[in-house]
Amino acid sequence: MALFECRLKKYRQLKELTQEQLAAQVGVRRETIMRLEKAQYNPSLKLAIDISRAVEAPIEELFIFD
Amino acid sequence: MKKNSVRVWVGCGIFCIAAVLLSVWYAVTFNDSRLVVLMDFESYAFTPRDLPMIVSILLACVYVLALFIRLFISIGKKQRDPAASNTTRRLNPKLGLLGLLGFLGFAGFWTYSVTGDVSPFVFLLFFGFFGFFYEGKMSGTFMDERFRENAARAQLTSYKITFKITLIVLIILCRGKLFGSMEYTLMAVIIVLSLTLALGIFLQEYLLYRYDHDDHMEEGEA
Repeated sequence: MALFECRLKKYRQLKELTQEQLAAQVGVRRETIMRLEKAQYNPSLKLAIDISRAVEAPIEELFIFD
Repeated sequence: MKKNSVRVWVGCGIFCIAAVLLSVWYAVTFNDSRLVVLMDFESYAFTPRDLPMIVSILLACVYVLALFIRLFISIGKKQRDPAASNTTRRLNPKLGLLGLLGFLGFAGFWTYSVTGDVSPFVFLLFFGFFGFFYEGKMSGTFMDERFRENAARAQLTSYKITFKITLIVLIILCRGKLFGSMEYTLMAVIIVLSLTLALGIFLQEYLLYRYDHDDHMEEGEA
């Protein structure tokens, strides 16, 4: 199922953010963050940028495509 | 709409209905039912006794027009409000019971045998209202990009299914007359089109619920 590796959980925990808090910051539902962390949802470019800004990590570090 | 303005609108509506009923009573009792029963307007000549009917009908028309304008304005306002436009509309799942109105469509068989009228078959479309059950379950949900993606996927899938069924049935029906009668064939077309459209309306809501709900199930299991 996973087409990419997602390291969002690691960076989110580093920033001490809950899924709920991160979801509120980037304007999505908590379920979307859950799916993202399991690499089960391919985010839009805007959402990826918003998340990388929220957790202060580069996009290429968060989402790793083969 | 605020409660006070709703009261004003309902009050005006009741006033308009009362005015129409009163003027109909006046016309039937004192004016030979003029403007109540069908009449030839080419030879129509105005009499002061027609005034109550004319005024009450005009009032009712103005009220309906104003109501529509008010509804359009409030829908526009809602769409501009980001908080309201980012969540699904609030709906009671019990409204899904309106789908039972679809059974009215079967009245078409009776009307066809009595008067030859097939239009009640269109009521089969109301089966689509069963979708309100799933829409109600998803009411007030925040519409993020994944939700919108799922909604688009559900819409596309339902359209595909609807078009496939319609195409297959039309091809079968167009190959020959049903029971040797063109009338039966056209009746079957009306029934099939109504049912497939109802299915399309229902599937959009059902599939969206399933896509979203299945996601949650997976998250719960993990």
